[in-house]
Amino acid sequence: MTLNEKKFIETALLSDLRIDGRGPFDYRNVAIKFGREDGSSEVQLGQTHVMGFVTSQLVQPYRDRPNEGTLSIYTEFSTMADPSFEIGRPGVFAVELGRIVDRGLRESRAVDTESLCVVAGKWVWSIRIDLHILDNGGNLVDAANIAALVALLTFRRPECTLGGDNDQEVIIHSPEVREPLPLIVHHFPVAITFAFIGSESTVVIDPSNFEEAVMGGKLTATLNTNGDVCAIQKAGGDGVVQSVIMQCLRIASVKAADITNKIKKAVESYNTERALRKIKRHPDPVVDVSKGAGMGVRSLSIEMEKTRLEIEDRKVNRSDDREIETHSSKKTGSRDPYSKGINGDELKASLASRAAATSVEKMDVLPSVKTQFTMIDKTPTEMDSTPSLQQTIEAGEQTIKVKTLMDAVKPKHRRKKKTYPNHDLS
Amino acid sequence: MDLEREGGRGANQLRPLDCSRNVLNRAHGSGSCSHGETRVLAAVYGPKAGTKKNENPEKACLEVIWKPKIGQIGKADKEFEMILKRTLQNICLLTAHPNTTTSIIIQVVHDDGSLLPCAIHAACTALVDAGIPLKYLAVAICCCLVENGRIILDPNKMEEQRMKALVHLVFPSPVQSVLPEGSKEDGIITSLSHGVMTVDDYFQCVKHGRAAVAPLSNILTKKLQSQSPSNQSVAG
Repeated sequence: MTLNEKKFIETALLSDLRIDGRGPFDYRNVAIKFGREDGSSEVQLGQTHVMGFVTSQLVQPYRDRPNEGTLSIYTEFSTMADPSFEIGRPGVFAVELGRIVDRGLRESRAVDTESLCVVAGKWVWSIRIDLHILDNGGNLVDAANIAALVALLTFRRPECTLGGDNDQEVIIHSPEVREPLPLIVHHFPVAITFAFIGSESTVVIDPSNFEEAVMGGKLTATLNTNGDVCAIQKAGGDGVVQSVIMQCLRIASVKAADITNKIKKAVESYNTERALRKIKRHPDPVVDVSKGAGMGVRSLSIEMEKTRLEIEDRKVNRSDDREIETHSSKKTGSRDPYSKGINGDELKASLASRAAATSVEKMDVLPSVKTQFTMIDKTPTEMDSTPSLQQTIEAGEQTIKVKTLMDAVKPKHRRKKKTYPNHDLS
Repeated sequence: MDLEREGGRGANQLRPLDCSRNVLNRAHGSGSCSHGETRVLAAVYGPKAGTKKNENPEKACLEVIWKPKIGQIGKADKEFEMILKRTLQNICLLTAHPNTTTSIIIQVVHDDGSLLPCAIHAACTALVDAGIPLKYLAVAICCCLVENGRIILDPNKMEEQRMKALVHLVFPSPVQSVLPEGSKEDGIITSLSHGVMTVDDYFQCVKHGRAAVAPLSNILTKKLQSQSPSNQSVAG
């Protein structure tokens, strides 16, 4: 950071101007997206990109807390975020970030750890949050906190029951057999960071990476909408007057309410989408009985990750939601595209025009489904240009057409019968 | 005898492939690639001055860092790093920037089978976005051998676990040339196999993989061309 740039930022702030055009108390736009599995989130705060993944494992509890599960946070300051981040042991900032997020979530009892106990003193759930910093655009703490919170809210842990002789064996049920359970989160601690820049200690909220390079001090306040202060961190830096700190806390509580609303909305939309997927799942009664009894936990640590196994049902669901746009392409997806009835060139032309119309968005999980669907139909027409393979595929496709699950679902009828199950959001 | 794959895919049908450039702001080049549900993010920093200790200073040096989704880097991840490094060393023009190091960082976002091909495509996209000079793009495909002897392409996680054997193949993307040439057979850049298969099966896999190269490289080049070039300066 050159002296000229430093002076420019400071003098601009004296007239309440920030270099990215924001006011001193304007927060950047938060965009929350979800990954394929439960418990994976991607948060974008301006130019800062953070991803969070939550997984669970059955372990033995700590000796002094035999009835509580554990929550641990691992931060990865990836070298892709900033050229100054080195690989190897986490640096000072990585550890500090991990500690702030940990205090906000665990020590404020936001996540209920007592509900994670399975057999007191023997088996408890250990929740592990991995935060990957992908892009450093400033204010990593806030973004990482939101990512951790959102991932925890959308995470589902497998249900387990006690069984076996004398009820001491834990049986973990797979997601198809029993619906996995969400974690109990009592309140949403949201971190808001302020930077103090210049000799007059001008306060700005949500510093960008340039502002972070010139700031004299930083204050992070973790608050929730109930008016509780979960954590405050001001580690050294320039001294600040008490009145300024109180002003910061007041502003932080307003911003925390905004962010909490955004989080709630995003999680709700994810839950409704997930519920839609669940409703359309093809029930398989044969699997229920055998799978439930067959699983037993013997070893100390068993990793349970959520996997989406019902891929075909999801594809059908997407076809329902976008029925109007991709009507003809859905037809070709479910039927044999190589049958003599459909003209290959016409199909290619129609798909090419549709593919050109859909815009490819970067890093979006939900909207990219549209492009996915057009791509499905493109690849078969391009792939099977080799004539020698085509005959075998044609024969194969026609004989198995009768059995696929897509034929079993009638999209138009299903649409009307959709009901949204009750799910509570704290 | 016929194989029923998820989503009604045929044995030679690939999952929808999507790549996008310039997804990150700080990195000099970045790209994201997804094969169906499998998604990988790649970032490139470089060329930076100086090479590592035992590397040849007459050529550029490549450094690959693989970041798994959860946990610390393990043995399998180190193997992927080594494979990616050697594969990318083949496609980059190493003599263009001697005595420099280019770092490629790969982040696994979701693994639903066929992870290595997806990572190779993401790395190529990021290198193109960073403007590192390449000889050609690399096109990667995963071919599996099922119990009844059939070969399927681009398996997902469930299919990979049930496979008898599988092989990852990387081919150079066919270069459009002005000179009239006969049909030149391009060699295999990388071949990585798991499991036991007969020699004939292996060559069958190579044949099927090679058949997929042309459409795959068309999709890749179209995706890379259709995005507008970035005109932001990322220095500093």
